Amino acid sequence: MNGILANLLRELRAYFFSPLAYVVMTLMLLVNGYVFVLIVSFLNDPRVQVGAPLELFFGQTIFFWAVVLLFAPALTMRLVSEERRSGTIEVLMTAPVSEAQVVVGKYLAAFCFYLFLWSPTFLYAGILDYYGDVAWGPVLSGFLGVMGVGALFLAVGTFASVLTRNQLVAAILAFVLLTLLFSVGLLESLASGEAARETLDYLNLWRHMDDFGKGIVDTRHLVYYLSGAVFFLFLATRALAVNKWR
Amino acid sequence: MIEAERLTRSFGDLVAVDGVSFSVGEGEIVGMLGPNGAGKTTTIRMVTGFLPPSGGRVRIGGSDLFSDPVKVRRHVGYLPENVALYPEMRVSEYLAYRARLEGIPSGDAKRRIGRAVERCLLTEVATQIIGTLSKGYRQRVGLAAAILHRPKALVLDEPTVGLDPAQIIKIRELIRELSSESTLLLSTHILPEVELLCGRVMIIDRGRIVAEGTPESLREGWLGSAGIELVVKDAPEEAAPLLSSVPGVAAVRPDSVEAGRYHVEAAPGADPREEIFLAVRDRGWVLLEMVQARASLEDVFVRLTTREPGAPPEAAPREEVAS
Repeated sequence: MNGILANLLRELRAYFFSPLAYVVMTLMLLVNGYVFVLIVSFLNDPRVQVGAPLELFFGQTIFFWAVVLLFAPALTMRLVSEERRSGTIEVLMTAPVSEAQVVVGKYLAAFCFYLFLWSPTFLYAGILDYYGDVAWGPVLSGFLGVMGVGALFLAVGTFASVLTRNQLVAAILAFVLLTLLFSVGLLESLASGEAARETLDYLNLWRHMDDFGKGIVDTRHLVYYLSGAVFFLFLATRALAVNKWR
Repeated sequence: MIEAERLTRSFGDLVAVDGVSFSVGEGEIVGMLGPNGAGKTTTIRMVTGFLPPSGGRVRIGGSDLFSDPVKVRRHVGYLPENVALYPEMRVSEYLAYRARLEGIPSGDAKRRIGRAVERCLLTEVATQIIGTLSKGYRQRVGLAAAILHRPKALVLDEPTVGLDPAQIIKIRELIRELSSESTLLLSTHILPEVELLCGRVMIIDRGRIVAEGTPESLREGWLGSAGIELVVKDAPEEAAPLLSSVPGVAAVRPDSVEAGRYHVEAAPGADPREEIFLAVRDRGWVLLEMVQARASLEDVFVRLTTREPGAPPEAAPREEVAS
């Protein structure tokens, strides 16, 4: 427990002290703000069917995926690779903490920061609520989807960060893995067999977010994110045990 | 307290550490000496559990390091060779982080951090950002962090590198003081440091322990009695045979015949200086210089670890050393 907490607090601190975090935060605000304006003005067009802006906001634009696909690697790339590059890993891994505690502590820090990055979203909901009616159910379920996707993506990024001592390589590796993970579901329409189509449908992240945005909380999606996250964190732990001294 | 048994580590084809066994008893300060690349850091990394050995085992305080690493590491304090710290943290924050990592209860942590800061002479930089500190201060931050949890075994890899002479003296005092609460294993290439601090020394070369013992026993065991340096004015040809015939002289080696410089090896236990003086005077020669050379640990070190290129490594008298 100490190991997790110590790493969590230190990494969180490191986020708020690193320029990268502020760059990510600013970009995130810009992109999300732009998407929000875009959606609202689009829906204000009298020719367009009536819709709920935040449904579209979560996951139904390519912007959402561009943001998570790019920013998850940016948040996780430093986690372990920097410890290995600078050599601080030596003290860390000779302290009475296990590899799993280190990985989980760092991952949780990235996750907390990720939630922090998304928190301004509630402002948009607040603005909409001021001028009209907001169905809070879909907003919350949409946020749950954001959390789920983040949990999975950040675990993949954490794993990538263990594999190399170069932050940039870690980021690119994470980006490639995540893009594969994301695009595999998009192959659904190309699938021929029923079984293949269903499997790909299960992996289709776009479809998942569609559901979450509509207020549908499908536990199968959550199980997919969480088991995926656990799987990649497990891989990260094993990789750390092998890689720490290299 | 620290027992290493036939520790071996290879990286690919390179055997960095080859069957190193040693033990460090409770309260002892043991020094590890060796040229660069001898395997000191690799050995230390295995002893602290950072690097899994290819073979052999390590026991700390009687428990096997690799069967329950997390528990055993609780009793080890470690200052790595290149003290790596987080540059964006303040000294006090870093120590608080390390205290939490070691599982020190938060009530205790503040007091222990204060004490470590004081002992490692960090009081004036406690609130500074680590990235702005000099090498000497960082070294001491690393040391303070290593002693926070009062480890039973303290392993220091080159603890005085990068310090100025005044700081070196203070850190040595601290190390000596720490030996009353911890068992110490330290590696260094600073020979006087070993002589000053360590009760016992291991000399490592090419991944093997080539000699082990107290600094005195190493000096005596490896160099025998001390030699004598002589300078005889206008030394004639027969000076060397004459010197050889003096009782108590085991061997004579002319260092430079033109300058009349000779190196005389005394027989064990003998001190032939007076006889040499009388013998030289009897012939009417003039003795310009006579100095008894004191063998230093440095001589032992150089002798054990330097090799002619291509020559096979000197066979170490391991039987004698093992006892």
